[in-house]
Amino acid sequence: MQPFDYIVPHNFAEASALLMAGNDDTRPLLGGTDLLIRVRGGFIRPERIIDLKQLPGMCDIVRSAEGWLVIGAACTMNQVAGHPLVRQEYELLAQACESVASYQLRNRATVGGNCCNASPAADSAPALYCLEAVMEAYGPSGVRRIPIHEFFTGPRCNALRPGEFLTGIHLPPVPSRSAGAFNKLGRTKIGDISIVSVAVWAEAGSRKLEAGGQSKHPERVDGATRTAADGQSKDAERLTWRIAIGAAGPTPLRAPEAEAALAEDASPEGVARAAQLAAEAARPIDDIRASAAYRRGMVAVLARRGVNSVLARLGAAPSVVGGQP
Amino acid sequence: MNQSSIGRSLPRNDAPAKVTGRALYPGDIGRPGMLHMATLFAGRPHARIVGLDTAAAGAAAGVVAVLTAADVPVNEYGLQIKDQPVLVGPVSGKAGADVVRFVGDQVALVIAETEAQARAALRLIRVEWEDLPLVLAPEQAMQPGATQLHPHCADNIAYSYRIRKGDLNAGFGAADVVVEGVYRTPVQEHAYLQPEAGVAYIDEAGRITVEVAGQWTHADRKAIAHALDLPVEQVRVIYPAIGGAFGGREDMSVQITLALAAWRLAQRGVRRPVKTVWSREESIIGHGKRHAMTIHTRWGARRDGRLTAAEVRVVADGGAYMYTSDKVLGNTTLTCTGPYEIPHVAVDACAVYTNNVPGAAFRGFGGPQGHFAAESQMDRLAEALGMDPVELRLRNVLTDEKLLTTGTPIPGGVGLTETIIAAATAAGWTQDVAGHWQRPQTEWNADDADQTDGYDQTDNHNNHDHQRHQRSIASSIRRGIGFAAGFKNVGFSFGYQENSYARVELRGESEIEEATVYIAGADVGQGHHTVMAQAAAEALGIPFERVRMVTSDTARMGDAGSASASRLTYMAGNAVRGAAEAALARWRNEDRPATAEHVFLAPKTTRLDHDGQGLPNFAYGYVAQACQVAVDMDTGEVHVERFISADDVGKALNPQQVTGQIEGAVVQALGYALMEDWRTRDGQVLTNRLSTYLIPTVLDIPARLDPVIVEVPDPNGPWGARGMAEMPYLPAAAAVCAAVYDATRVRFTEFPLTSERVWRGLHEPTG
Repeated sequence: MQPFDYIVPHNFAEASALLMAGNDDTRPLLGGTDLLIRVRGGFIRPERIIDLKQLPGMCDIVRSAEGWLVIGAACTMNQVAGHPLVRQEYELLAQACESVASYQLRNRATVGGNCCNASPAADSAPALYCLEAVMEAYGPSGVRRIPIHEFFTGPRCNALRPGEFLTGIHLPPVPSRSAGAFNKLGRTKIGDISIVSVAVWAEAGSRKLEAGGQSKHPERVDGATRTAADGQSKDAERLTWRIAIGAAGPTPLRAPEAEAALAEDASPEGVARAAQLAAEAARPIDDIRASAAYRRGMVAVLARRGVNSVLARLGAAPSVVGGQP
Repeated sequence: MNQSSIGRSLPRNDAPAKVTGRALYPGDIGRPGMLHMATLFAGRPHARIVGLDTAAAGAAAGVVAVLTAADVPVNEYGLQIKDQPVLVGPVSGKAGADVVRFVGDQVALVIAETEAQARAALRLIRVEWEDLPLVLAPEQAMQPGATQLHPHCADNIAYSYRIRKGDLNAGFGAADVVVEGVYRTPVQEHAYLQPEAGVAYIDEAGRITVEVAGQWTHADRKAIAHALDLPVEQVRVIYPAIGGAFGGREDMSVQITLALAAWRLAQRGVRRPVKTVWSREESIIGHGKRHAMTIHTRWGARRDGRLTAAEVRVVADGGAYMYTSDKVLGNTTLTCTGPYEIPHVAVDACAVYTNNVPGAAFRGFGGPQGHFAAESQMDRLAEALGMDPVELRLRNVLTDEKLLTTGTPIPGGVGLTETIIAAATAAGWTQDVAGHWQRPQTEWNADDADQTDGYDQTDNHNNHDHQRHQRSIASSIRRGIGFAAGFKNVGFSFGYQENSYARVELRGESEIEEATVYIAGADVGQGHHTVMAQAAAEALGIPFERVRMVTSDTARMGDAGSASASRLTYMAGNAVRGAAEAALARWRNEDRPATAEHVFLAPKTTRLDHDGQGLPNFAYGYVAQACQVAVDMDTGEVHVERFISADDVGKALNPQQVTGQIEGAVVQALGYALMEDWRTRDGQVLTNRLSTYLIPTVLDIPARLDPVIVEVPDPNGPWGARGMAEMPYLPAAAAVCAAVYDATRVRFTEFPLTSERVWRGLHEPTG
């Protein structure tokens, strides 16, 4: 393996300056589970590696004053998957993180690194798309917030600018009546990169959306208010659906037509139709793990299973879900 | 007096060092003043080297020497025929040694102060290539006018066999049912934990010494001595701990190149050890693979189940060089008609040169391919006849009295019937009042649907609705069971006089305080050195703990033969037993120390004649297997829920090690059947790392894997033992495909059964 300098910056500004000065021969390090393999394989030959893990907050999971969950960019997959707040409110993300590689690898691999590496097959990404995460970056011009669907720009490409690095992943609050399911297919039952993955999320009511489909940030919603608000209006009984697809396009993809169809009809026939719409939203390719045709077929299967699983978890009566008496 | 040492699961004598990390594998070895060697691989599947400029590499920082074909005295290698250059290059005494024939051909060696320097200098070597036409499909390579790959072989057919027994037309005329199929079996990578590595140096006696992981010390020594044009006494090969082999270390990887480096350096006055470690990517392109084969076959049977005829045509992809293709093909030729008596048989088999990675030895050695075709044919016949697959097999199975396709009986003690009954019984087959076998009437493990759930792996909830959801997924699951049987030779065959050497030294005064066994056999992880200590202890009547092993060093002992062909326990076990008994006689004669050596010679075999008739082997092992699979009809995922493997091992000298071999062989075979998906494009290997070439993980193996040990003694094996390490591999792919057919009514004649292949099979119309 090509030798490199390993640098631990003292603060955000120094980290940014080091990354800014270095161009392509300088790489940020979080868990290193993607980076070091690429160095060892000779695909990249960085001269300097900047370890960002020790910067303040990078390894913390906290609830913000606004009620958002803030996951430091260097939190490991196991740390995120095991965190009580994640398990209680964002369990979809826990499912996704627990599906990544092996337990040992998840002790090193970070959710932030998974996103920055920007593999279309990043397993945490479909869950984060469903949860409408907002990525926070630090750079020469200060702090910048990027909606997750704008963060992934192509295979191995993210929206970070020179000198910028990811500091945290911000998750908007979720209604208490909500559930998610993450399903993936790999060639082995543990450790393989996904052939395809699908995250499905449903929550009661419909949040106010800004242009671009993103939740407003920050948004003041506390847990007690949310619980009290649930069930008060008929609108809150309606489900808002989100479906995100991994490893079947240049980036993770949402399936808006399938989501809209489910909101109207979540009967078994409606679920089957939505699954088909999700498959049509996929933009898969042939590669060594699977063909595009198989991937597209499996998006439909996993979407259907995910939706059924979410329906089962919500214990929703079909009349409510389907919006018909 | 003393408790018997055989038939007991005594602890492995290599375990403490391996568990504590004291044991050194080749890559762990360091010696003072050591240099590092890196290898330039061709990276092209077929090209002539017209120019080779190593000046810049030779002048690079830290580089001590750059070696090319011009530095190899006798630039050829090959276990069976010497058709492979040690290094490919334009200046060489060997015709055709300027042509690379697969991506893993070796072109140059750089020796430097550090590994990084050696690898950096590789990039400075300038090679001028003239690309040649690619020959990738064996069927095309055999056609007239195909590009010739070797000067000695005009039609690219590296080797062929022919069997003619009885009258094929009469056989098919007597058949009530005829089934025909074309079966394709894939390449498989050995994927041993330890990539190729070693250290070479000049020892105190002036011998070129190579410490390396291989399977046959004395064959390695011979290959090195031949290439260096030295007497074998000038070369010494030592095996430290070996990180798996499975056949993949039978052919040369780093042995000759390391020896060449140490020797050429010494000639230049640089007496420093040289070490090399291949990367995983280099390992995967650099050593041979299991042969891909295409088998066309047609079988006939009477209404009562008796087989009447079998016609088989086998084409094996031999890859760039012979390696052991001739011997592998021999086994396919014998096993492609299964462990059955068939009166009328015609087999035509050939191995063909191509520009693919060479086909090589791999556990089962041609047997898995032959069995896949044969046992799939039996499953089809059972269906066509409306007969239980166990019943059909028992009506045709080989016994002591019946003749092989080679016109000769199997040497005595054929345990096939016992083995098939053991597997069937363990799997729940029963006999009705008329004595006919009937498949299990219920699914084996109704509960396994929940336990082995891999279909929604991230669900942790356990509420009622969740369970209902699980059932809805479970409704896409279809279960089926499959059965298959097999047999394979033990030891080298087809006229080769099998032999194995051991020496035993006894020390003490009134009683034997220490027995030292000198044996060259390779412990590749199978427990060979432990079992040989058990054999010595048993023969001497002393406790196992008093036996000391001195192993795997050509300077200290004779040739025990290869750790292959399921032969070491049988061959070396007899050698150790013979040496121990001779030493004991001298001990009783008051010799102190009492020393004796023994060369065990196996019963003779013969080459096959023009019609494939003769006595090819002196011993066999037997296996029968049953499995249950769950197929997800939506995704095509196949999960083996339960696997039973009954193996006639003659006598289990160490039952724990036998069980380990059965479990290991089955898991490796399930990887072959379900998952291991070797991919190439234009001769380039696409799956050259373990993230693209996947082998089973702990979650992919059956929840229940039940070995059943059957002991029908071999007349010539030590204490009745027969070889067993390959047999549990042989019929597994056929058993799995039969179970998938039982579940889905779709017959797969090509594997691995990846989810996508199964999904396509389930969704596309089948013939």
